[in-house]
Amino acid sequence: MITGALTIFAAASLTTVFPQIDAHPKYSFAGSNALAAQIRQGAPADVLASANTSIPQKLYDDGLVEKPVVFTRNALILVVPKGNPAHIRTVFDLDRPGVKLVVAAPGVPVGDYTRIVLHNLKLDDALQNVVSNESDVREVLAKVALGEADAGFVYTTDARTVRGKVATIGIRWSAQPIVEYAVAVVRSSTHLKAARYYVQKLLRPWAQGKLRAAGFLARR
Amino acid sequence: MRRAALAVAAFGASFVVLAFLLLPVVAVFVRVSPGTLVAQLGDGAVKDALVVSLETTAAAQALVLLLGTPTAYVLARRFRGRKALVTLVELPLVLPPAVAGLGLLAAFGRTGLLHTSFPFTKTAVVLAVAFVSGPLYVRAAIAAFEAVDANVVAASRTLGAGAGKTFFRVVLPLARGGLTAGAALAVARGLGEFGATIMFAGSLRGVTQTLSLAVYSQFDVNFDVALAVSALLVLTSAALLVTLKWLPSLSTSRFRFATSS
Repeated sequence: MITGALTIFAAASLTTVFPQIDAHPKYSFAGSNALAAQIRQGAPADVLASANTSIPQKLYDDGLVEKPVVFTRNALILVVPKGNPAHIRTVFDLDRPGVKLVVAAPGVPVGDYTRIVLHNLKLDDALQNVVSNESDVREVLAKVALGEADAGFVYTTDARTVRGKVATIGIRWSAQPIVEYAVAVVRSSTHLKAARYYVQKLLRPWAQGKLRAAGFLARR
Repeated sequence: MRRAALAVAAFGASFVVLAFLLLPVVAVFVRVSPGTLVAQLGDGAVKDALVVSLETTAAAQALVLLLGTPTAYVLARRFRGRKALVTLVELPLVLPPAVAGLGLLAAFGRTGLLHTSFPFTKTAVVLAVAFVSGPLYVRAAIAAFEAVDANVVAASRTLGAGAGKTFFRVVLPLARGGLTAGAALAVARGLGEFGATIMFAGSLRGVTQTLSLAVYSQFDVNFDVALAVSALLVLTSAALLVTLKWLPSLSTSRFRFATSS
């Protein structure tokens, strides 16, 4: 099946791994919420791969995409720049005054997950230290890797892509939100067959292996 | 016959161009009812963005006027290397905004050349706005100062007025039209600043989120709010442009772009 004609809208956290799974389609990586907004405005996407399940579910409820399927999972991690200027040792240092915390905006999947993590850790006050609400996870990562921010919440898979520029601080499992990625075929696609094939391919062992090699978690 | 065809083609082309330029602007207003647009402006995020935009625009343009005016006055004189200096001042005008943002980070970022703590602050927004809009003002101001008759300045000096008095009482009033026009252009450009700001200052409601950034952040949250802010920006920009073109007090010296000679 030819996938070269496809346009895949995918969460920014899939930027590195999707072209490894299939290099043929045209990809547009951004915050899942921005991609969904573009699809609502009639953007010519064939497939949407979102970093959560709620965004594709809403599009499905509105008749814009076919039934979404979960294809992978992820987890959150705290990144600090090399050198750790704010001396952050654990997540509990985040509510100290003066810490420059960069997160994704509410509505962006990783932005919502970040707020769940902080709430689970009873660290809601750390939101007072947010200096910027970014539009996707890679923007958060870039600002930390550049050393401009003291810390930022990203997916574990993102942290791996800038090894050497950031140090990571783990978040205990009990505080982790459920981070499930769902993919759906866009109903207005003019390549429905190829789009469905692409979605099926993501669920096959080979693609799942690629995802796990990139640090994603097996779907349940 | 051929002439008629050419005329039709020319009219057709200009119609297409006008329609193409106007349609997106009109679409901002017709997509939802004016009542809805006005109602969306009451959104808290819009109010916060309006305040941030007003504060940063005021600060940035004050900087631009205070520092840009003497700079333009110096650059309006003839001296060796002037052309190169004017070109340097004009460079930010043709730089992609994302490059401007990256440059500001590389210069003023915490890990940048000067190691400042500007990123993510209002100061960063002010610097980004001044960086991209200042050159518009300086360029217009150079042209305005160049247009001031050197004989009038010489006469003022011969009659005993000092350099400072001559500047404030003779040169500045004569150049006023061009300076105002340049300032209005700079304000309009500064209000629309997006790329450099989001890279250098980030986006935080009430702190660094300007109206232009609010359009972007609201796009996928509430499209109507994004439309309302866009409508507000269209109206402001149009008002500035109309003021530029028709305000009678500006006719003392017509706005011109600096010649690069």
